[in-house]
Amino acid sequence: MTASLRHRGPDAQRAVLLDGAALGHARLAIVDLAGGAQPMIDPRSGVTLIFNGEIFNYVELRAELAPGYAFRTTSDTEVVLASYVSKGIDCVNDFIGQFAFAIFDPRTRALWLARDRVGILPLHYTMTSEGLAFASEAKAIFAGGWREPAIDAVALKQTLQLWSPVVPRTMFEGISQLAPGSIARFADGRLETRRYWDLDLGVEPRADLSEDEAEAELGELLESAVRLRLRADVPVAAYLSGGLDSSLLSAIAQSQLGGTLSTYSVAFADRSFDERGYQQEVARALATDHRSVQITSRAIGELLPDVVFHAEQVLVRSAPAPLYALSGLVNEHRTKVVLTGEGSDEIFWGYDLFGEARVRQFWSRQPKSARRPTLLRRLYPYLPLSEQGDELLAQFFGVGLDRPDDPHFSHLPRWAASGRTLRFLSPDFAERTAAEDPAASLIASVPSRVRGWRPLARAQYLEMTTLLTGNLLSAQGDRMLMAHSVEGRFPFLDHRLIEFAATLPEGLKLRGLKEKWILKRYAARWVPERVLRRRKFPYRAPIASALTGRQAPRWANALMSRDAIRERGIFDDDKIARLVAKLSAQSSSPSETDSQAIMAVATTQLLAEQFLAPAAVAQADIDAVDLAAA
Amino acid sequence: MSTRDRLRQFIVDTFFVDDFNDDESFLRSGIIDSTGMMELVLFIEQVFGVKIRDSELLPQNLDSLRRASAFVDRKVQAATPVPAT
Repeated sequence: MTASLRHRGPDAQRAVLLDGAALGHARLAIVDLAGGAQPMIDPRSGVTLIFNGEIFNYVELRAELAPGYAFRTTSDTEVVLASYVSKGIDCVNDFIGQFAFAIFDPRTRALWLARDRVGILPLHYTMTSEGLAFASEAKAIFAGGWREPAIDAVALKQTLQLWSPVVPRTMFEGISQLAPGSIARFADGRLETRRYWDLDLGVEPRADLSEDEAEAELGELLESAVRLRLRADVPVAAYLSGGLDSSLLSAIAQSQLGGTLSTYSVAFADRSFDERGYQQEVARALATDHRSVQITSRAIGELLPDVVFHAEQVLVRSAPAPLYALSGLVNEHRTKVVLTGEGSDEIFWGYDLFGEARVRQFWSRQPKSARRPTLLRRLYPYLPLSEQGDELLAQFFGVGLDRPDDPHFSHLPRWAASGRTLRFLSPDFAERTAAEDPAASLIASVPSRVRGWRPLARAQYLEMTTLLTGNLLSAQGDRMLMAHSVEGRFPFLDHRLIEFAATLPEGLKLRGLKEKWILKRYAARWVPERVLRRRKFPYRAPIASALTGRQAPRWANALMSRDAIRERGIFDDDKIARLVAKLSAQSSSPSETDSQAIMAVATTQLLAEQFLAPAAVAQADIDAVDLAAA
Repeated sequence: MSTRDRLRQFIVDTFFVDDFNDDESFLRSGIIDSTGMMELVLFIEQVFGVKIRDSELLPQNLDSLRRASAFVDRKVQAATPVPAT
């Protein structure tokens, strides 16, 4: 099992066999290179830990614990162990960090699992008749022979519409993921899980907070979040997209490091996706050591098999592929850690989705108003529909206008759009999954208190639980980074910052339709004016041109042939043949529906191909197996 | 083939829908996506040889099969020279 995760931890792999548990670990050495070896055992109690991730405030926690605990190393791993031994599992509340860990406590013969608050690090498990098996990635569970890989039909349907399975489901039958912000206890053959943290957006906004005060508090927290995330015994670099968030992080990091920051960017050969002008401008302004990797449609097609193998997920967007290449570039330059800007658009309401929800909410109060929906044009000047008259635009966004209190009101137009992908399912598969309504499953998983929140707070909750955790942090985040043994660190997802943003009055996040108001105000001192003023530019990558037409890779032609589609039985072979023909012949840019559909089909076929008939994973090469029987 | 049948065939082929009724809103029910309306307009202009003005891009003209086929029929009729008697 451990060998199958060597990409996550190339520096050492060790396993220990205990009385009642076996723990294996693949280490990417970042903090205390010499002393942080794992599994780590507390000599007095025998409590044994394996830990993936970082506790950024380990220095402060160590100082607190030191009077009562005999530390042997300077690693953050030992701080987790000492915290548990001193305080029990509730120690997770003290951690500022990103983590997934397992602790075996021989005194109670209980195994504890814990995952960080927003799910930056993955943690998968399965229950079998022999017990519980768990690992960072599902492939390790398969390698251990604990499950036969099979695609979970319900998860696939959920992914087509919501872009990720609803937690705790994963793409594989019988494999679950521990929900973010959760701990689990396994003892006597029973698994119990509970949340130790969840987003609370129902708090009363701090109405008396002035803009100056808010900006000062934001600055203090963000600068602290960056400072903690620069802690490492190896160099820390930054991803730079050319947008506000990554530019701001790079600027703060460069200032704290005193000028030694390296930045890494994705550039696109296709100029309609490319942001290199802004990236270079920021890199010049901050005087970073800047590198970029240029991506073509052809490269995306060629990278996708590896991307899907690492992501272990069906994808409706190709955006993870360039990030896979980018972590490869970082690895080539012997860098193990990067800062990255995910989370800002969620906590400070940067996405158009929030503005859209606000307009639709406003419009739903006067559904017959012709003027109210025209505000949508300001959000989406680039939508083809915008050229087609306000009334058609209104039809498109008018989905669910009669249900403004519906908990998924904000996401109804998006899910109506993505739900079109379901048309491509084979009649047999559609019938097998007919009882599943993805949106209803998601809403059923949302705590009831969320219903009482204000509309945009509800939108944020849905956005963070689906797109952020289920996609941006996993398929597009951790998995693409760890594929090349690179750790991403996410200052905007410091829980102190998330909790602070939740208390801000709405107008300090989305003022009218101007997004990230207070963040931009703060960023003005850090980033070039042109970056601050630029129009929001969503990070996207080509799809149809990477999978169809002249440039289509050989695997795509083979896996999306009529025979291959029919054999797998998930999609309708006739429709897919027509879709491929349509996209291959098309000279204009393809529709969102067609792009998502072809991406979903290609990655489903890849996932099945790679996992349902998996190649054997080498089990050799584990450095040591300690037999630590009690 | 009637206008309605030709339009239905186009929509089934282009947007991969199986079935929908003549009065269903293309946009609200999700039959067509945001670029789909452009494809529909282009198809009507090319196949029926009519020009659609910006001011005619309205839900009442285009946002269901019944409306779109009635609209196309009106446009075609208006474009056809009345034979001299």
